[in-house]
Amino acid sequence: MATPHLAPGLTRRGFHHLALGAGAVTAIGATAACAVEPEETPQETGSGPVELNFVWWGDAARAEVTEAALDIYREAHPDVTITTEYQDSTPYKDKLATRIAAGDAPDLMAMRRDQLREYGDRGALLDLNGVDGLDIGQIPDSAIDPWTVDGALLGVPAGLNTIGFIVQTTVLDEYGIDLPDGDTWTWDDLKVFADSITAASGGAVYGTGFEVATVANLYVYVRQQGEDLYTEDGALGASVATMQGWFDMIGAMRESGGFPPAGFFEDVGGGAEASYTAQGKLASEIIPTNNFKAYNEACGGTLALLRIPSESTAERRGQSIDCPHLWSIAADSPNQAAAADLLNFLTNDLSAWQAMMTTRGVPPNSEVAQELMGDLPEDDVTASEYLLGLAEEDLPPAFADPVGATEVQSLLADISTEVEFERVTAADGAQQFVDEANAVLG
Amino acid sequence: METVTVTAPPLERAPAEPDTPSSAGRRGPSIRRRADRSAYLFLLPWFVGLLFTLVPFGASFYLAFTDYNLINPPQWIGLDNFVEMLNDRYLRQALQVTFTYTFVSVPLSLLAALGVALALNKGIKGLRYYRAVYYLPSLLGGSVAIVMLWRYIFGNDGIINVVLGFFGIQGPSWVSDPQYALSVLIILHIWTFGSPMVIFLAGLRQIPLMYYEAASIDGASRWRQFRSITLPLLSPIIFFNLVLALIGSLQTFTQGYIMSGGTGGPSGSTLFYNLYLYIEGFQRFDMGYASALAWLLLVIVALFTAANFLMSRFWVFYDN
Repeated sequence: MATPHLAPGLTRRGFHHLALGAGAVTAIGATAACAVEPEETPQETGSGPVELNFVWWGDAARAEVTEAALDIYREAHPDVTITTEYQDSTPYKDKLATRIAAGDAPDLMAMRRDQLREYGDRGALLDLNGVDGLDIGQIPDSAIDPWTVDGALLGVPAGLNTIGFIVQTTVLDEYGIDLPDGDTWTWDDLKVFADSITAASGGAVYGTGFEVATVANLYVYVRQQGEDLYTEDGALGASVATMQGWFDMIGAMRESGGFPPAGFFEDVGGGAEASYTAQGKLASEIIPTNNFKAYNEACGGTLALLRIPSESTAERRGQSIDCPHLWSIAADSPNQAAAADLLNFLTNDLSAWQAMMTTRGVPPNSEVAQELMGDLPEDDVTASEYLLGLAEEDLPPAFADPVGATEVQSLLADISTEVEFERVTAADGAQQFVDEANAVLG
Repeated sequence: METVTVTAPPLERAPAEPDTPSSAGRRGPSIRRRADRSAYLFLLPWFVGLLFTLVPFGASFYLAFTDYNLINPPQWIGLDNFVEMLNDRYLRQALQVTFTYTFVSVPLSLLAALGVALALNKGIKGLRYYRAVYYLPSLLGGSVAIVMLWRYIFGNDGIINVVLGFFGIQGPSWVSDPQYALSVLIILHIWTFGSPMVIFLAGLRQIPLMYYEAASIDGASRWRQFRSITLPLLSPIIFFNLVLALIGSLQTFTQGYIMSGGTGGPSGSTLFYNLYLYIEGFQRFDMGYASALAWLLLVIVALFTAANFLMSRFWVFYDN
C-alpha cells in the first residue's frame, strides 16, 4: 500500500485518503478471508480515489491553461483523477446533449448561459446552493442571482464577461478620423463614424460590422429600450417596435455604406486571427471582452476598447456583466462532493486563476479578481478594468434564458437573414419574430 | 501518375466477352444451393448488425408517440407528435429543401455519371486512372473535410468569386445568401457522380458487343444504337442507381450540417430533413418529435421507392 500523500501538512483530503488506505487494507483482508464476494472500494464522494470527468468548450490555448490549473489541483489531490474533454462550442453543445441523454453526464461541465435552463429546468443539474465545499460568498449577488431559478443555483460563473466595441486605431489614423468617446457615444454617432470610414477608404474597409442575430448584441440594445429580450419569468420581453428598431438601425447603416452588405458575414471559423478586423475588412466590431487580448494581438496591438453605443443616453443601461460560460455539476454525478471541491478551486483559488488568466473572463470572486490584476498582461488589464468599471455601476439585472431559447435563437437567425437580404421588411420580420418566439416560449 | 498506366496491364480494353448472362441459368441446382449458402454467409454480418438496429428501431417507434426531452422519462402522448407536424412550418421547409435537392441533383448526377461512363467505355488509354479520378469525389463528397473545402471555394473571397471577378462579375455570397446556399450543395452532389459511374461502367461492359456489330451492319447510327441497345440493356442498372441515389439524397445530412454550422441556414435554405430531425432531437431536446419525424421519413422513402418500382415496369427491360 503505497501512500502517495507526501505533501507537507495533512489536508482534509489527505486525511480521507489515509483513512481510505487503512480501509482498503481491511477490505483486502476481508476478501482474502471470504474470497467469495469481491469487496468494492467505497465510492463515497470526496473520500477516496475519485475519477472526475470535466468538460468545457474552447480552443487548444484555453485547454492548455485549464490543464495547467488542473495540474496544480492534481498535485494537491493525488487521489483525484481528472479526465478532461473539450471541443469547439457547437460540437460541444451537441455532445453534451448526447451524453446527458445517455445518462453519462460529465461530473463538472461548462454550461452555456442560453442552455442553463434547458438542462436545469429538467432536473439535470445539481442545485449548487449550500453545497459542501463550494464557497460562493465572494461572488457578488448580481453575478449569482441570474442563475438561480426557482431557488436553485444551476451554475456558477466560470468568469465574468461582457461585450465591448473594438476599434482599429490604425484605420482611424490613416484616414484622419477621431476615436469616438466610448462613454458618451450613441448609435447615431456610430453610424456617422462608420459611414465616414467606409467613404474615406473608398469601400476598402467597412466602418463597422457585427452579427445582427447574435443575442449578446441584441440583449444590450433591447435593454437600452427599457425591455428585456427574455423576462425573469421566461417570456419574450422585446416588443415589435424594438425588434424593428434593431433591424432598421443596421439596415440604415448598410444602406449608407458604414455596415457591410448582405452576405458579408460568413461562418468561416477560426478565432481572432480570422476576424474581419484582423483581416483589415472592418474598422470596428463587437466582441466578448475576454477575447480582447487575443484580438488585440491578432490586430497588431492597436485596438481601442469602447462601450456599446448609447449607454449614457438610452432609456436605461443596456450592458450587463454576463456569464456566457458557467460551471454546472450533473444532478446524477456520483462524485458531486469531489466535483464541488474542484469547482471551488476553479472559482476561488488564486493559483488556478494565475494559470488560466482571463480565458473565460474576470474571476467572479472579487478578491481573487483584485489579486489577479497584478499578474495580468496589459491587454487583459484593459479588458478587466473595462468590466470592473461596469460592475461598479448600477446596471439592470440580467436573467437566464428560458427553455426554448435555443429555438428562439435559430428563429432570430432566420429572420435576420430574411431582413438582411430584403426578402422581408424590417417591420414584418420584427412582427414575425415576436409572434413565433411567443409561440415557442408560450 | 503516368507510370501507373505504363506498369498496368497493357491496355484497358475490356475482355471483349464477359460472362454471358445466359450462362448463369444453365447452372445445376446443387451449384445454386451452394451459391445461396455462401450468399447467406456473406450476409451474416448484416444479420448480426440487424439485431443492433432492431432495438433502436423499436425504441424510436415507441418514442414517436411520446414527449421525450432526453432528460426526463418519456411521456405517452399518443398521436400528438404527428398532429403537430401538420402545422410545422420548419417541416414544410425541410421537405421543400430535401425534395428540391433530390429532384435536381439526382437526375443531373446520374446524367453526369452515365455520360462519363459512356466516354470511358470507349476503351481510352489509362482508363483505370480516369476511373479512379472520377470515382474519388464520391468517396470524399460526403466527408466533413470536403464540405469545409467547398465552403471556402464558394466563400465570398473563394476561388469561384475570384475567377468571376476576372470577368468583371461580382459573385454573390454563395454560402450565406439563402438564394444560393442550396445550389452549392447540389453542385457538390453532382460532383460526386463517381459511384453510379462505376456501376454504369460495369453495366456497359455487360452488353454484348455483337448487338452493336449487328446494328452497325444494319446501318444504325450511333444515336440509334444508344437508344435501342445501350439504354434498354442498361435500364436495370439505371434503375438500380436511381433507387440508390434517391434514397441516399433523401437522407442527406452531413453536407447541410457542415455547410450551415448545424443550423440549416441561411434562413433554412439548407435545412435538410435529417438535419431538421437532428436539430429537433439534439438541439431543441424534443426527441419524441424527432422520432416521429424519423418515421415519417421512412414512410416517404418507402413511398418513393415503391413508386419507383411501379414505374420501372414501363421502362426497365430485363434481358431474359
